[in-house]
Amino acid sequence: MASAASSTAPAITPGIKQGVAPLRAGHGTSFFLRRLHSLTGIIPVGAFLFEHILISNATAISGPEAYARQVSFLANLPLVFFLELFGIWLPIAYHALYGFYIWYRGDGNVVEYPWSGNWMYTAQRWTGGIAFIYIVWHTWTMRFTGVDLHMYPAASFGKVQAEVFQPGLFLFYVVGLVAASWHFAYGIWLFCAKWGIVPGERARKRFLVVCICFFFLLTGVGLASLATFRSRPLQPIDSSAPAMTLVLPAKVQPVEGR
Amino acid sequence: MATKSVLFKIKRQPTPSSKPYWEEFELAHHPGMNVISSLMEIAANPVTRDGKPTTPITYDSNCLEEVCGSCAMLINGRARMACSALIDNLEQPVKLEPFSKFPVVRDLAVDRSVIFENLKAVKAWIPVDGTYDLGPGPRMSQDEQESIYPLSRCISCCCCMEACPQFNEETGFVGAATIAQVRLFNTHPTGQGLKPERLAALMGDGGIQECGYAQNCVEVCPKDIPLTKAISEVGGEVMKQAFTNLLDR
Repeated sequence: MASAASSTAPAITPGIKQGVAPLRAGHGTSFFLRRLHSLTGIIPVGAFLFEHILISNATAISGPEAYARQVSFLANLPLVFFLELFGIWLPIAYHALYGFYIWYRGDGNVVEYPWSGNWMYTAQRWTGGIAFIYIVWHTWTMRFTGVDLHMYPAASFGKVQAEVFQPGLFLFYVVGLVAASWHFAYGIWLFCAKWGIVPGERARKRFLVVCICFFFLLTGVGLASLATFRSRPLQPIDSSAPAMTLVLPAKVQPVEGR
Repeated sequence: MATKSVLFKIKRQPTPSSKPYWEEFELAHHPGMNVISSLMEIAANPVTRDGKPTTPITYDSNCLEEVCGSCAMLINGRARMACSALIDNLEQPVKLEPFSKFPVVRDLAVDRSVIFENLKAVKAWIPVDGTYDLGPGPRMSQDEQESIYPLSRCISCCCCMEACPQFNEETGFVGAATIAQVRLFNTHPTGQGLKPERLAALMGDGGIQECGYAQNCVEVCPKDIPLTKAISEVGGEVMKQAFTNLLDR
């Protein structure tokens, strides 16, 4: 490669700005890091989003007790702290931080080239950024502050309600939901295009329709769950509230039921 | 519109390091004129719109029929070939600028040697040189010929690279054209011999991973090369190669 680099030098007149460097074949780790970023977006981050919206939060539609049971089930998974750490927090942190690095290095040009693919390129960066801000806030308020839902799953429904009943925060929930859903749905399309899973022109177009449908599914179910939180009477958040004692036995139920 | 005229706004830069500035030109309209023929007219009479004599505009061009790839420039802000840019289809004033991501040599001429370095880095050739006649190569099926013929139309104009949001000094991205050539030579029965080396080269810094799939490349390509398809297919091949490298030794 040294020969390739040295052969570049005479071609460029002294005083000319070097411009974009040629391919550094055999150098660096960016291939691994970039492909890892791509993969973590699907597994585990995307898989978690799928579970979070389409399974866990969707159980809220069945009411506070079902929701508490689901939270209790998740909280009682074996080694739950390590599952969270290696399955959610670290992958999301990596995906987000490397994502910001990718965003920083790209030069968006939708003004000059206002084509749909280019808009999607820009949207993928903005939705990722918005989703990240939302996720940090959402994790902070739901997991790390207030009532510990792993200890008191029965308070879950009420804890979400306390946020969702505030119009500003409700809007933030909707924005975060839409951004994360789009980022994931279009991310699946990007993954399949970049990894050669769906290479054909027409196949890619068709698959885009599938991914957009998936976006509407995620957003629709997410909105239905949010609507449930707002339509039900306010549940107590206090860990000593009667609602908790009412549902507490349910903490054991999933183990028997499954 | 009796005697139509055409207005040009052209970015001038006398030396690689000097500051660029704009000059305006006005030409009488005649049917079928294109950007290159206009630049030729200006060269024949290099006088600006306000009557000041100036130097002819420097630009690269050769074939004048969109097969050599020399005359690529920014026309009204977009990367395209000047020879096939008909004035009648352009908004006025016609704004001409050199490519923004390549070092300017003078005026509209830029140094595009980076694509040559990239093609060398991925060994974009078929290894047939030897000390004796190797005889005829293996035959290619009609299907295969048809699938890769479009890739062979590449004229190295670098439009795909100029329009790419990922092609810049930060990433040093190799660009769509080179990746499509990897696809072309990897599909060739004799060229296949270098496939692992080509794919390994694309895993280096600035390699295929930098593609953000904005798909501007395939939109600007004057030769309608299926660049996004090539990137996708090579993306898959590179992953297979990466796993082979990981598990096979």
